Amino acid sequence: MLPAQAERILLVFGGVFLTFTTLALMVRGTQGRDWLPLLVWIVCAVTGHVWLSRSLPWRDPLLFPVAMFLGGWGVIIIERLTPFFAERQTIWLIVGVLALSAMIAVPQLLRKLRDYRYTLLLFGLALLLATIIFGTNPSGQVGAPQLWLGFNSIFFQPSEVLKIILVVFLASYLAEQYPMLRALQTPTGRRNAGLSPRILGPMLLMWGLSVIVLIWQRDLGTATLFFIVFLLLFYVASGFTWLLLGGALLIAAAGVVAYALFDVVQLRIDIWLNPWLDADNRAFQIVQSLFAFAQGGVFGQGIGGGSPGYIPVVHSDFVFAAIAEEWGLLGVITMLVCIAIVVTRGLRTAARLNRRPYLSLLATGLSLLIGVQSLLITGGVLKLIPLTGVTLPFLSYGGSSLVANFIIVGLLLRLSSEEIDRGA
Amino acid sequence: MSTPLVFFILRIVSALALLVFLGALFWVMWRDFATASEEIDANRRVHGRLVHLQQIDGRYVATPETFPLLSLTSLGRGPSNVVPVEDSFASTDHAVIALRGGRWWLEDRQSTNGTSLNGIVIDQPVIVTDGDIVSIGQSHYRLELE
Repeated sequence: MLPAQAERILLVFGGVFLTFTTLALMVRGTQGRDWLPLLVWIVCAVTGHVWLSRSLPWRDPLLFPVAMFLGGWGVIIIERLTPFFAERQTIWLIVGVLALSAMIAVPQLLRKLRDYRYTLLLFGLALLLATIIFGTNPSGQVGAPQLWLGFNSIFFQPSEVLKIILVVFLASYLAEQYPMLRALQTPTGRRNAGLSPRILGPMLLMWGLSVIVLIWQRDLGTATLFFIVFLLLFYVASGFTWLLLGGALLIAAAGVVAYALFDVVQLRIDIWLNPWLDADNRAFQIVQSLFAFAQGGVFGQGIGGGSPGYIPVVHSDFVFAAIAEEWGLLGVITMLVCIAIVVTRGLRTAARLNRRPYLSLLATGLSLLIGVQSLLITGGVLKLIPLTGVTLPFLSYGGSSLVANFIIVGLLLRLSSEEIDRGA
Repeated sequence: MSTPLVFFILRIVSALALLVFLGALFWVMWRDFATASEEIDANRRVHGRLVHLQQIDGRYVATPETFPLLSLTSLGRGPSNVVPVEDSFASTDHAVIALRGGRWWLEDRQSTNGTSLNGIVIDQPVIVTDGDIVSIGQSHYRLELE
């Protein structure tokens, strides 16, 4: 079976689900009755599919349809929850598909990314610094973290781009040091020569700068994401098992320090340990989210049938709870399977390219970004771990997040059609 | 029909569609893994050969020069190719013949002067089979499958 055939089957079945969901929303929904998101989705899916079939005939057949399915589902959920934002999200979906195509259209993109890694990372950090100076919050609340750059009414979150740039940087840097990291015996006779400051220095500097700036901005969710992905990627490149143990201890230590330093961390950990002490006030969001999960049951209330609107800002970080309430366990499992597929297909690509360290590490890092971010937010919404404010990939409302995830999928698609062993 | 009933039916259909999508996902993955394991087996052996031909008086005559046909056989002027093509019309990475999904595909790798199959220039990947003649510039190769 050709990738294009498999992709077509999946897109058609995904489209059937989205069509019936939109129909159900039209019949039942008290708000949000619009065909536009569905039509835009169909146009995006068809053009994306045709274009991919022409430019990458041997791509991974699952990545594009799964990303489109999640993206389309996300737009319909936004349409149901907050119709006011749905139009914007639909436009962002178009931008996302265009960004995905751009990742495939640019010739020699992967090599260019490697060659300009320091420039790219400095650019990303400059964007982040600009956010500190000019940053705003689209909600306009006083005291809310100001993580966005605004141009008129378009808002953009630089940390979403920075996370991709950081993974590109780490992948190319670690690939360059790969022989040293993997050397059992070096000319100087020292084992673990990969840990010399000469090798670790530039990487720790760049990564440290990113994390410090994020903590400065109180974007702790993204800082956690960077930290975990960095450790995992370093572990994959070097094979040092103690990194994982040490990393887990460091995260615990950082949590204790942050608990003492940041009010928001203290709040998040307190309501994680026991939300019921303050269920009507500070823990209202997480408690309502748990109610939504209980209300959803196995089959859910049906789209428009539940009342996820009780959860504050449900369309953003808590979209997982809305899925649980309206599609039940069935929807939750489908969503988790879709994200797991994106991650495992990415890792499979990485395993396939294991003779080309840069591409392999890049595929690993990009899939880990999606995987770790999904774990952080789904675990947080379910109160399994303290809540960290990151978006649910593809589904949450937010243009930068949606576009960033489509860029990741575009890069993974491109990586999946790279050949196994030829010079990059 | 009353609205709640229509909504109920639509809910059932939409839930079924979700399950079908999930099923299709697993089916595609299963097919993909089956193909991948076939390809891993296929990578371990030589599948045939490419015979370098010479054109004499409009007829093709086989030369003693042959190349192994691997599951990914690259052709081009670059010395690292499985089939190094010594032809001034050949690009460094000119074309590949690859086993994909149980079939042999000939693909041009955006070469300057193009690749022909049985005398016809290809503009997209095409399936090739035993006895087909692949031409790059003035160099011709006959595919012989085992």
